[in-house]
Amino acid sequence: MVIQRIFAVVLLLVCIGLAMMAWPYQAPFSYEPVGPRAFPLLMLALMGISLLYMAIRPTPIVHSEEEPALDRPTLIKIGICTVLLLVFAGLFEPLGFVLSSILVGIPMARLYGGRWLPSVVIITLMSIALYVLFDKVMDVPLPLGLLDVLEN
Amino acid sequence: MDTLGYLGQGFGVALTPYNLITALSGTLIGTVVGLLPGLGPINGVALLIPIAFALGLPPESALILLAAVYLGCEYGGRISSILLNIPGEASTVMTALDGYPMARQGMAGVALSLSAWSSFIGALIATCGMVMFAPLLAKWAIAFGPAEYFVLMVFAIVCLGGMAGDRPLKTFVAALIGLFLSSIGIDANSGVYRFTGDNIHLADGIQFVVLVLGLFSISEILLLLEKTHRGQEAVKATGRMMFNVKEASSVFFVNIRCGLMGFIMGVLPGAGATLASAVTYMAEKRIAGASGKFGQGDMRGLAAPETAIGAAACGALVPMLTLGVPGSGTTAVMIGALSLYNITPGPLLFQQQPDIVWGLIASLFVANIMLVILNIPMIRIFTRILAVPNWALVPVIAIITGIGVYAVHATTFDLFLMVGIGIFGYILRKLDFPLSPILLGFILGGLMEQNLRRALSISNGGLEILWSSPITLGMWVGTAFMLVFPLIRIWRKRSRQRRALADV
Repeated sequence: MVIQRIFAVVLLLVCIGLAMMAWPYQAPFSYEPVGPRAFPLLMLALMGISLLYMAIRPTPIVHSEEEPALDRPTLIKIGICTVLLLVFAGLFEPLGFVLSSILVGIPMARLYGGRWLPSVVIITLMSIALYVLFDKVMDVPLPLGLLDVLEN
Repeated sequence: MDTLGYLGQGFGVALTPYNLITALSGTLIGTVVGLLPGLGPINGVALLIPIAFALGLPPESALILLAAVYLGCEYGGRISSILLNIPGEASTVMTALDGYPMARQGMAGVALSLSAWSSFIGALIATCGMVMFAPLLAKWAIAFGPAEYFVLMVFAIVCLGGMAGDRPLKTFVAALIGLFLSSIGIDANSGVYRFTGDNIHLADGIQFVVLVLGLFSISEILLLLEKTHRGQEAVKATGRMMFNVKEASSVFFVNIRCGLMGFIMGVLPGAGATLASAVTYMAEKRIAGASGKFGQGDMRGLAAPETAIGAAACGALVPMLTLGVPGSGTTAVMIGALSLYNITPGPLLFQQQPDIVWGLIASLFVANIMLVILNIPMIRIFTRILAVPNWALVPVIAIITGIGVYAVHATTFDLFLMVGIGIFGYILRKLDFPLSPILLGFILGGLMEQNLRRALSISNGGLEILWSSPITLGMWVGTAFMLVFPLIRIWRKRSRQRRALADV
C-alpha cells in the first residue's frame, strides 16, 4: 500500500514536470486550431487525476499464490542484473557483440544459479552461434568491435 | 460473393511454397518461443519484426510469419500449461485447470492434440465470421471521418478499462502512459520537438520494438530472478498422441458454442482471449452441471477455453484489419510491424491490398492445420525443451533481446532505453499494473491525436463535431456504459463484502 502511494506520488510529480515542459510547446505558425501541446497535456491531466485518486485510495495488490515476497538478497540480485544489462548496452559497440555478450552473459548465468564451467562453455558457444546466425545468415548487422581484426 | 473469390486468392498467396515454408518455420519458432519462460506471443512477435525486415521478406510473407509465430506461441504456452501446470500467460490459466489433470491421467498427448484441434475449430469459426463481417465492416468504416475515429479510439481505451475486471483504474493509467509516450518525438504537424530533451535519438519518438521488448522481455528477465527454484517435473507425454473420433465428437458442440462466443469477444476491443477463455469455461461448467468433472480432467473443460482463445485471437484481427484499431497486445504489435512496411491498416486495406488481408486470413487456416500435424512427431522434442534450466536460458534471452533492439536503428541509445523501460515495466508489474494497455495506448496515441486535430480543423475548433453525427453519439453512449459498468460491478462487490462482514 505504502509503496503504491509513493509510486503514485512520484509518477504524479513526473506528470507535473512533463506538463511544465509541454507548456511552452507552440507552433511558430499554425494552420490548425489544435497545437502540438493540447494532446499531451490532456493525457497528462487525465493521468494526474487518476494518480491522485490512487495516491489517496490505493487498491490492494493481489499476489499470486507462489510469488515469494521481495527480500534483500532478491533485491540485490535484481540490482546486479540491471547493472549487467546496462553494462551490456554500454559495451555492445566498443567491445563488439561476441565479447560483450560473453562478458555479460557469464555473470548473468551465474546469477541464475549456473555453475562456472557449464556457464562459460554454453554462453561462449551461444554468443558465437548467435553472431553467426544473425549477422551471417539473417543479415542483421552486429558490431564486431575488438574482433574486427579477425575479419580480414 | 466476391468475398469467396478473394478468399481463394488468399489461399493462392498462402499456399505458394515460399509462404508455406515461412508459415512452417513461423509455427516452429513460435512454439519454441511460447514454451520458454520469459517469452510470450507479444515479445516473440516483436522480436521477429526487425528480423523479418532484415531478411527482406515481402510484406505478406512477413505478416504470415508473424501470424504463424503468434499461433505457435499460443500452442507453446499450451504445452507448458498442460504438461507443467504452469500457464505461460493469463489466457492459458483456464487450459491448465483441466489439461494438467488429463496429462496426469496419462492422456497428455490426447490433451495436447485435442487442444490444438479445438483451437483450430475456434479459429475456423472466427475466420468464417471474419470472412462474413470484415468486408461489411470495412465498407461501413469508410463512412468514418476523423471525429468518428477519435471517438472510436476513446471507446476502445475505455473498453480496456471496463473489461479489465478488478483493476479498471490501473488499466486506465497504463493506457494513458502509452498514449502519452506516443507523443514523444517530433510533432508531424508543426515540427515542434516534444519531450525529447534535446536528445537526437528521441526525435523520432520511442521505437515500438524497444518499448515492447523493454516492457515484456526485460521485466520478465528481472521477474525470473525471484523464482530461483525450478518448477515441477514435466509430465511425460507417452501413449496415444491423437484424440479419436469419439472424443472429438463429444466436445463438438462445446467447440461451436465457445467458438462463436470467443469470436464476438475477440472483436470487442479490450476483451480478448483472456476474458473469452474465462467466460466460456465458466459457461460450459454451468451447462455441464453435475455430469461434468470440471477441474479433474474433463475434456470439455479443456476444449472450451482453447476454442475460445483460438476464436478470440482471430477475432481480434477484425478491428485491426478493418479499422486499424488493435484490440489486443499482439494485434498492436502486428500494427507496429505493418507500419514498418508503410502499410496502414484500415478500411482501404481491403481494396488496395487484398493479397495481404486475405493471404493473412488464409495462412491462419494453414498454420492451424500445421500445428495439429506437428503435434504428433514433435511433441517429444518440445517437452525436452521444457527441461532447459533458467541459467542457460535467461542470458540467451537477454542477448537475443539486445539483438532485436539493436537491429532496429543500430544505436546503443536504444539498448539503454530498453533497460530503462524494462525497469519501469518491472516496477509496474510488481504494483499489479497490466502492461499490454501501454502498448495499445502507444499504438492508438498517434492515431488518436492526428484524428482529433483533423476533426477540429474541419470544424475550425468547434468541439461539437465530436458528438454531432449519429455514429459518434452511439459510441459516446457505449463509452458512458463502459465507464459506468465497472463502477457498478465494484460497488456491488463492495456491498456484498460489507454484507458478508455484517453477517459474521
